[in-house]
Amino acid sequence: MTLNVGTAAVRADGLSRRYGAIRALDEVGLALERGITGLLGPNGAGKTTLLSILATVSEPDAGSVSVFGLDPRDAAQRVEIRRRLGYLPQELGFHRHFTVAAFLDYVAILKEITDRRRRAAEVARVLAAAGLEGRARTRIRALSGGLRQRLGIAQALLGDPDLLILDEPTAGLDPEQRLRFRELLSGLPGNPVIVLSTHQADDIAAICPRVVVLLQGRVRFSGTPAELAATAAGRVWAAGERDAGAHLSWRGGDGRWRHVGDQPPPGAELVAPTVEDGYLLLSHAAGAR
Amino acid sequence: MTSSFPGLDQHAGKDLLAGYAAGTADGVLVWSAEAHLTGCARCRSALSEHVDAERLARNRSVLLARAAIPEGGPVRRLLCRCGVPDHLLRLLAATPSLRGSWLLSVVGVLVVVAGETAAVAHGWIGSGGHPGPAGYLHREVLVPFMLVAPLLVLAAVAAAFLPMFDPAARLAAAAPFSGLTLLLARSVCALAAALVPVVAAAFAVHGPGWLPAALLLPSLALCAFALAAATVMDARAAAVVAGALWVLPALLLAAGHVPLLLVQRNAQFACAAVLCACAAALFARRDRFELGPMR
Repeated sequence: MTLNVGTAAVRADGLSRRYGAIRALDEVGLALERGITGLLGPNGAGKTTLLSILATVSEPDAGSVSVFGLDPRDAAQRVEIRRRLGYLPQELGFHRHFTVAAFLDYVAILKEITDRRRRAAEVARVLAAAGLEGRARTRIRALSGGLRQRLGIAQALLGDPDLLILDEPTAGLDPEQRLRFRELLSGLPGNPVIVLSTHQADDIAAICPRVVVLLQGRVRFSGTPAELAATAAGRVWAAGERDAGAHLSWRGGDGRWRHVGDQPPPGAELVAPTVEDGYLLLSHAAGAR
Repeated sequence: MTSSFPGLDQHAGKDLLAGYAAGTADGVLVWSAEAHLTGCARCRSALSEHVDAERLARNRSVLLARAAIPEGGPVRRLLCRCGVPDHLLRLLAATPSLRGSWLLSVVGVLVVVAGETAAVAHGWIGSGGHPGPAGYLHREVLVPFMLVAPLLVLAAVAAAFLPMFDPAARLAAAAPFSGLTLLLARSVCALAAALVPVVAAAFAVHGPGWLPAALLLPSLALCAFALAAATVMDARAAAVVAGALWVLPALLLAAGHVPLLLVQRNAQFACAAVLCACAAALFARRDRFELGPMR
């Protein structure tokens, strides 16, 4: 699926990438405006590959990327993109013997913040933003998974990036931390372009004005969360029993079965679809699940 | 109340306190105010009304963050005094082959191989299948040391540039800081740190007097080859190939009872040629190191 990309802040055209026999991306087209865009997809859908290409750490086999009008294939323009980038990889490694503050200081230098005073101010700012002020002197090896994830988010915020690429940023965060993360993203100054991948449809519904669904290396949906939910309108049912004929069935928190299918199960009532319903229906249609 | 400071027997005016808190007061007045504030609780209390609490909290958090960033040891301070930029030294702190545990391992291996050479030379243990008079003229005893010493230097440099040893390699790849600068800085420091114990051990073994100097060029050539090869193949494979290029001829010459040929004149010329060619290749393909580990 290739979209009409127009004058978007970040755009990708016909991106393809293979790993041996596996086609990770298949002619992906994407247009990202300022604000938050959620990238939804199951494991192996190509989300991480797509985000690493947008973050300039990986190259596509075919297709092109433009970030703020800059082409990452050109060395000088690639550096310029990186100056405006904040990136949280899915599996961020840490120098475990570093303290939290020393690690942020290290990443700040990599981001060309060489002045010591400015670096300290930046480190203090992102420590506060990620709620890590009290952990500045803690060694990374002593941090829990959730705290490390917050440290990963903090390092991505260094330098007030114009483009923030966050690969599974809410993984490992508890519900309270996820709420705080949503507030943090929504309150970032300067209206940067933010792309985040997640498995959590409720994260998408809560903070993303736009959502892209990536399945089997292809863009299957691009629009608002309401539009994604609407794709399942009239096909989501709630019932007391499991329905073998439904495409998908699962038991909700209220103990009732939720069914996504073309035919209503006996005794079921039609319910309003959610973002997750729309996503699951798309996944089912694509044969990704 | 006036903005000028009235003297030690009077109190500071509102304008002065506001200017002092905002950092806009005149220099001489600031000194007077500070001298007065030290001994006047009333003016200190009045000053607190003019202080921007948010700015104060921000400054405090910056100071705390700065205090939480380690200053580094005597080596870093010495290098800083020698003119090496502080930020570059902080980047080097992530190099595994510059850590004490790594350097201790290198010294440990050298002690073992150099100790074996010394033991054979003094006749404390046999020379392993090639009996002969003790001492360095029995050149096979040098084989383990000659085999291992340049490989230790190569391993130190490889650990400095292989992404597998840098858990934050993806962050470095996505950052604007020059990948080539980072790679070269780390490699040169790792090279220097490894060469010190290797050359010291070369003096300690019972070999020809020129051996310490003769090991330098092969070590440099191997490291340069690994770096240059990493621009065209996987970095790990490049390090392995470089190691094999040393080990195979070393073993062949050792089998022919002429191990020192590996570091004598013709070999030195060959190493110099390899070093120059690899440096040129590295320069020509330097952009490769800006792309990151995933390509």
